[in-house]
Amino acid sequence: MLTGLDIAGDTPLHRASARLKLILLFLAAVALFLVENPWALAAAAIIAAGLYASTGIARSEAFRRVRFVLFTVLLVAVANYVFHSLAEALAVLFRLGALVLLAAAVTATTTISAFMDEITRLLRPLERFGFVRAADVSLAVGLVLRFVPEILARYGDIREAHRARGLRVRPLGVLVPLIILTLKDADTIAMAIDARGFRRQ
Amino acid sequence: MSTRDLVLVALFAAIIVALGLVPPFTLGFIPVPITAQSLGVMLAGCILGARRGAAAVLLVLLLVAIGLPVLSGGRGGLAVFVGPTAGYLAGWVAGAFVTGLIAERLEREAQPELAQLLSFLTAAIVGGIGVVYLLGIAWLAHSSGKAFMEIAAASLIFIPGDLIKAFVAMLAGRAVLAGYPLLPART
Repeated sequence: MLTGLDIAGDTPLHRASARLKLILLFLAAVALFLVENPWALAAAAIIAAGLYASTGIARSEAFRRVRFVLFTVLLVAVANYVFHSLAEALAVLFRLGALVLLAAAVTATTTISAFMDEITRLLRPLERFGFVRAADVSLAVGLVLRFVPEILARYGDIREAHRARGLRVRPLGVLVPLIILTLKDADTIAMAIDARGFRRQ
Repeated sequence: MSTRDLVLVALFAAIIVALGLVPPFTLGFIPVPITAQSLGVMLAGCILGARRGAAAVLLVLLLVAIGLPVLSGGRGGLAVFVGPTAGYLAGWVAGAFVTGLIAERLEREAQPELAQLLSFLTAAIVGGIGVVYLLGIAWLAHSSGKAFMEIAAASLIFIPGDLIKAFVAMLAGRAVLAGYPLLPART
């Protein structure tokens, strides 16, 4: 259910390191906001779409992933057209469109473990000052992935319990027991983690 | 952060993710379906307090960034952080923090029920709506060209739905406080 959005493949984007892709994405974002000319931005959007297509992602899946964000981009562009000018609308449409497609291309070609490695490396300077521990972050990510299915199953159980007693299933009636039951597990899980010495404190 | 805090943060992040996966619920008297994920942001502050609540929301955004489709409707990946609504996601973290800060300062165990409810409502509205919209609209203004005043005004149509969520967060926050109190007390 909770599988990553990366697509297996061996394209140049797949082979590039996660850090390089993130830096390039950041530079592209800065550059796109400096350009005002709609035609230059349109060229950027076409290149971004080409890059996204080059990741080998199936066309329907590629569209499904970005349609919501592109829809909000379109809304913003339409508002610019109605209240200002066509040039402004096209600039916004192509600028944000290009950025969204580039970001989607990075997501499609970078595995979750590559991202986690990069995050661990980024956190190392913070770790030195004692703000956060990189190992804790990956532990927390692992815990979330482990417990989402559990919580969904519990959600189903609580709904059935309500139905079995002839109660109407109301959001609040499900939400509160779901939260309390889930958070009550925290002590046991924390003890299990400490007993295994995962955090070495 | 103690191991228990770390686990609480992770479990609450998992609850927020799960809220995005269950079908949006409708409240009897209002026909518009409500996605529960932004409710989770208010709840994180109301139930875990400022630091742990903000950490739980940050953890969800981290999962989104590394390419897990955990936002409601199966959205995810870096694309949501560069779209025009990215400011609202940043606002979630700050919003959970401010919600928690207000809840921690206003809630007292000895208070009558009504005072507790009003404290949670204030926290959810100021943090979960005020702060979230502040950051959301600021990024909209930066990213959306010249029409940002109009777009900012249009985004206000979501306020009634968010007020309902603040109301639900108030009731749930108070119920969890009564059943399994976790909110750190502050004087």
